[in-house]
Amino acid sequence: MYPRQIPESRPASRLLYVTGVWAVLLLWLMPVFAIILTAFRTFEDVMAGNYWGWPTEINFRGNLTAVFTQTDMLDYFVNSLIITIPSTVLVLVLSTMTGYVLSRHRFAGATLIFSVFIAGNFLPQQVFMIPVRDLMVSLGLYDTFGALIIFHVAFQTGFATLFMRNFIAALPHELFQAARAEGASPWQILIQIVVPLVRPALAALAILLFTFIWNDYFWAIVLTQTDAVKPVTAGLANLRGEWVSSWNVVSAATLFVAIPPVVMFFLMQRHFVAGLTMGAVKG
Amino acid sequence: MSDVKLTSVQKHYAGFHALKDIELSIEPGEFVVMVGPSGGGKSTLLKSIAGLEEISSGIIEIAGRDVTREEPGDRGIAMVFQSYALYPHMTVTENMGFGLKIMKRPKAEIDEAVRHASEILRITDYLDKKPAQLSGGQRQRVAIGPAITRRPHVFLFDEPLSNLDAALRTQMRVELATLHKSLGATMIYVTHDQVEAMTMADRIVVLRAGRIEQVGAPLELYRNPVNHFVASFLGAPRMNFVEGRVTALGAAATLEVPGLPPLTIPALRPDHGLTVGDAVTLGIRPEHLRANPGGTVVIAEATIRLAEQLGRETVLYADAGALRTTGSDTGTDNVTLLLGEGAPPAEGSTIRFGFDPADAYLFRSDGHTVSAPKSST
Ligand SMILES: Nc1ncnc2c1ncn2[C@@H]1O[C@H](COP(=O)(O)OP(=O)(O)OP(=O)(O)O)[C@@H](O)[C@H]1O
Ligand SMILES: [Mg+2]
Repeated sequence: MYPRQIPESRPASRLLYVTGVWAVLLLWLMPVFAIILTAFRTFEDVMAGNYWGWPTEINFRGNLTAVFTQTDMLDYFVNSLIITIPSTVLVLVLSTMTGYVLSRHRFAGATLIFSVFIAGNFLPQQVFMIPVRDLMVSLGLYDTFGALIIFHVAFQTGFATLFMRNFIAALPHELFQAARAEGASPWQILIQIVVPLVRPALAALAILLFTFIWNDYFWAIVLTQTDAVKPVTAGLANLRGEWVSSWNVVSAATLFVAIPPVVMFFLMQRHFVAGLTMGAVKG
Repeated sequence: MSDVKLTSVQKHYAGFHALKDIELSIEPGEFVVMVGPSGGGKSTLLKSIAGLEEISSGIIEIAGRDVTREEPGDRGIAMVFQSYALYPHMTVTENMGFGLKIMKRPKAEIDEAVRHASEILRITDYLDKKPAQLSGGQRQRVAIGPAITRRPHVFLFDEPLSNLDAALRTQMRVELATLHKSLGATMIYVTHDQVEAMTMADRIVVLRAGRIEQVGAPLELYRNPVNHFVASFLGAPRMNFVEGRVTALGAAATLEVPGLPPLTIPALRPDHGLTVGDAVTLGIRPEHLRANPGGTVVIAEATIRLAEQLGRETVLYADAGALRTTGSDTGTDNVTLLLGEGAPPAEGSTIRFGFDPADAYLFRSDGHTVSAPKSST
């Protein structure tokens, strides 16, 4: 088996290894634990400085009720869905098409186009903060859902294309030849052969994109202004302003905000099937 | 009018000349088998005819139409791939009906075509399975299915039976031959199997390093190979080759071969181009080496190293001392003999064998056959 386990005969190394794993895990999960615990606390508990201990009284319900009745989180949440779902779907559609073309069709400039897609990923986003904002203003899209959707689609398609191109390129070449010989058009090949076979990749990509876009804060504050279009990330920051030191309510809101990516993961999980191309070509 | 016509077809892969000036004309309804060593360009030629590989220059015509620039789907061909190429997410039925579905044929017609093809291929039991659930041989049979359902003008088969066991292979061979007769379609068939080539072909094309070495009826190629390569490629066990030298020339050629008495090849091609003193290669098929011969034959002696008993016949590999063969199947310089029925001599014993020089072939040092063609009786 590889990686090889540390043999039983070396207890010291084993102990060091196991301790290390737990230490990293704890460090990694600490903030999450803190938020979960805080979401269950009462305001008094927070004021008393009980940040890490067990909540003196379980008040999760109260905190959640506060989130829904006294803040606009539900509106922000809907805004986020309005932004994230179309963006994710559009990126998936576009990147499947670009990935297919770039992996299977040779044409002049293909490498250049692919390089542009990749290069876009390496630019720090802050660099085009002002140009993109100005662009949206002059398009009349500033402070609309459109601005965020267009930006996310444009920006994520680069990475998604790289991802899909490599996945489609790994499909057996003969399948495409066979379909072509049977008279299938490139569109028919894309829809009837490629899409079913890259389902696991699309599912993985959907989770990544959904999480990226859902969690975006930077562009949310660059491209929106009014509460009517703000996504949850920006809304959460507002909350912190209004509800100074009500960490219990902010934490409950945070948990609520974190639900969709988790749900997304479980929805997509059944598409992670290994060996979809098994049996296609001779071993 | 020929059905498939290739005119000076050239194919270059980046920096690699894969097909060199291919000229080939195939009659309607003909069954053409392509053979040749691995990497010789058989698959490339098939894919070029199919339109899956763009040729660098030349013309491809199918049914009298120039299809050189046409899409594979418009050429009236169906191809069976060496590597199967089954759609892994579709069932056997869906795989076989895919082409017809693309052509937007009515469902009843597709079902009927799939049913018919699956009966020919004996895969009716796995119609609802996915390719991953099938064995290699089952997959290979399924892979032939789409071609049959589509009833194309020209069938292109790339080693369609290579993964089947002997019994199934024979069955399928017969089925494909029957299919060929009943459809009357033109078929181009690549194989490594000599029996398939000899039994199925109307004509065999021998392809080596991107070049056509010889085209002809199976027995014609077997009897009258144009060169050393074709002689060595067709026939199992392989022809014996021994090096020699021309000592006298007239209508016949007298040779000196180490380990053999002087011998005379009775008839030469008019354009043999030999001169006295030339190095030549003598070729004798294993079945032409007879044990304990009498009469006017060339005789030698050898010690038997290995006897392969195949039931009906026995293949002997024997060490004939100074008589050394080159380029044999076994990689040794042993002489190969093919004996008919009867108790074979024991390994280690000595055997006297001989051959009629009229059965032998003579090859020039550049490989061309210079002995006269054998009569076809
Ligand atoms: N896509 C490609 N790019 C470059 N060279 C290639 C490509 N496909 C095939 N070749 C080369 O062309 C030559 C012929 O290949 P081809 O597959 O036609 O051989 P083949 O006669 O079918 O062999 P086999 O009997 O092993 O199937 C080989 O030397 C191979 O390396
Ligand atoms: Mg091949």
